[in-house]
Amino acid sequence: MKLRALSLCVFACTACAFDVDDFLDRLDSALTLSAFQDNLRARLSGTLDLEFYHFEQPAPGLINSNIDTLFNPRLTLFLDTQIGSQIYFFAQSRLDRGFDPSDHGAQVRLDEYALRVTPWDDGRLTVQIGKFATVVGNWVPRHLSWENPFINAPLIYENVTPIQDKSAPVSPLNFIYGPYYYEKYAFNPVIWGPSYASGISVSGRLGRFDYAVEMKNASLSSRPESWNITENGFEDPTFSARAGFRPNEAWNFGLSASEGSYFRREAEPTLPPGRDIDDYREFVLGQDASFAWRHLQVWAEFYEARFQVPQVGNADTFAYYVEAKYKFTPQVFGALRWNQQLFGTISDGYGHNVRWSQDLGRIDIAAAYRFTSRMQLKLQYGFQHETTGSGDDNHLLAAQFTVRF
Amino acid sequence: MRLRGLLWLNTIFSGLPVALLASTAVEGRVELPKSHSAPVQAKRYEIVTHAGVLSTQPPLAVVYLDGSFPKPTSLPTKEVAQKDLTFIPALLPIQMGTKVEFPNLDDTYHNIFSYSPAKRFDLGRYRPDERPIPTEVFDKAGLVTLRCDIHEHMRGLILVLNTPYFVMTDENGRFRLDGLPAGHYTLKAWIDSRTTREKPVQLKSGQTLHVDFP
Repeated sequence: MKLRALSLCVFACTACAFDVDDFLDRLDSALTLSAFQDNLRARLSGTLDLEFYHFEQPAPGLINSNIDTLFNPRLTLFLDTQIGSQIYFFAQSRLDRGFDPSDHGAQVRLDEYALRVTPWDDGRLTVQIGKFATVVGNWVPRHLSWENPFINAPLIYENVTPIQDKSAPVSPLNFIYGPYYYEKYAFNPVIWGPSYASGISVSGRLGRFDYAVEMKNASLSSRPESWNITENGFEDPTFSARAGFRPNEAWNFGLSASEGSYFRREAEPTLPPGRDIDDYREFVLGQDASFAWRHLQVWAEFYEARFQVPQVGNADTFAYYVEAKYKFTPQVFGALRWNQQLFGTISDGYGHNVRWSQDLGRIDIAAAYRFTSRMQLKLQYGFQHETTGSGDDNHLLAAQFTVRF
Repeated sequence: MRLRGLLWLNTIFSGLPVALLASTAVEGRVELPKSHSAPVQAKRYEIVTHAGVLSTQPPLAVVYLDGSFPKPTSLPTKEVAQKDLTFIPALLPIQMGTKVEFPNLDDTYHNIFSYSPAKRFDLGRYRPDERPIPTEVFDKAGLVTLRCDIHEHMRGLILVLNTPYFVMTDENGRFRLDGLPAGHYTLKAWIDSRTTREKPVQLKSGQTLHVDFP
């Protein structure tokens, strides 16, 4: 009976969805403007996401909530502007409960804005300046809700480690056990989401190879507040790069590297005497590969990261994921992702070498139904298991309804 | 002898409508809507971007004769190409049962799909050099909106008609529909997804009728 009711509901949604789709197409046309003989073109677009999460405490990933069932609505607006054939400007603004899902009140942010100049038609050189996603890896092009086969990010982009950017640990044990005593939001993952830090990038294509180099005001692990130029200047910049090789349209391989200081200015008083935040850096090496043909898409990323931690030394970690998406019908797709993060050992100060965090693995399974080309429902289940230490598990159930306009 | 005479007459009269068909026509003008704003490509997360802008497609209408006509035994294959990140042509009228090829003439992937009730399909991602070229047969009348799962701005239309008598207007809205059968029909002008104008027409053999859709 419930199944029949659900089927009827889906049918009703689909039946009226085409009218909605037609309306949204017209809205899209109305929100696209051009002037000066089409030399200036601008398009306002966006997505409305309604997300539901159910999980166990502590909340997994970067979800910042003390309640187990979370409703997280989000309105995202994009502005894409083309000036002539060589200048492009874009901006992204969001109204939500925080950059990452949280139980906080509503806030409005300008998450991205950038000016891009492409002097040559063949794309050999592009210069971009502003606040925009990192060039590292291959997850960024699909991190938005419509393109992402899942509701959350791969583990490397959201698994909170004992690394802190607001204060330095006073001892190795304080470093290791910090996450058990302080609020989760005090700690950082290896890469914080798409890392919309501020800066400048140079990129382009040379035959089958492409390149991208960026200088940003914050490291890959830095929190969203650090990405703003008003909050964090370029005194200690982070340099990142990616070199890509595309033998054909189906395959894409990339090598990434990043290096920069990860402490915020407010951490300076907690550093050892005579040391500066520039003395403690995050190093990341990444390898990525992707394959796409017909209805199958596969992505994989592998990262080796090192943090230089006061009172501790080098803290190393290795993380990877393999992700696949397959369209079963024009409107239904499924996705599967295996994530793992392994931690190296550090000296605990008492003559023992211990892991600086628990190794863990996570499997994510998602299914999506597209009512129309502008309405999508995703369901996801994630199971996370600590393979060392106490072996804690966490189950995540999530649903996301997206309207794109 | 009498029978032979009747057979001759039958032959003459059965061949006559074919000759007259060729000279029966409708011509006129459709008032077209204002041009759309020039499209904008979202390049936010492309590491490699090319300079240049997307071309603007002028609005066109399709004029067709509505009625009951015999089904054809075979139909020519039509084509909607993807070139410079746009559909070419942006609007294609076809007769029901027509096969359409979707060649990728760009140096990047496209993923053409449609969720329209008249035809639901998803061709997946395919390379420019892949053979055979992906095709679909459109066997239900209606409007099919083509999109690309990779390039959000791409939009094309296939108007599947249950008649062999149709023509596209030019950019000024002018049309001429030739080779029509004599009789009483409805002439329709499809302008966009929500606007189709129609007028009853009485077609006489060998005449050219003038019809405007203001």
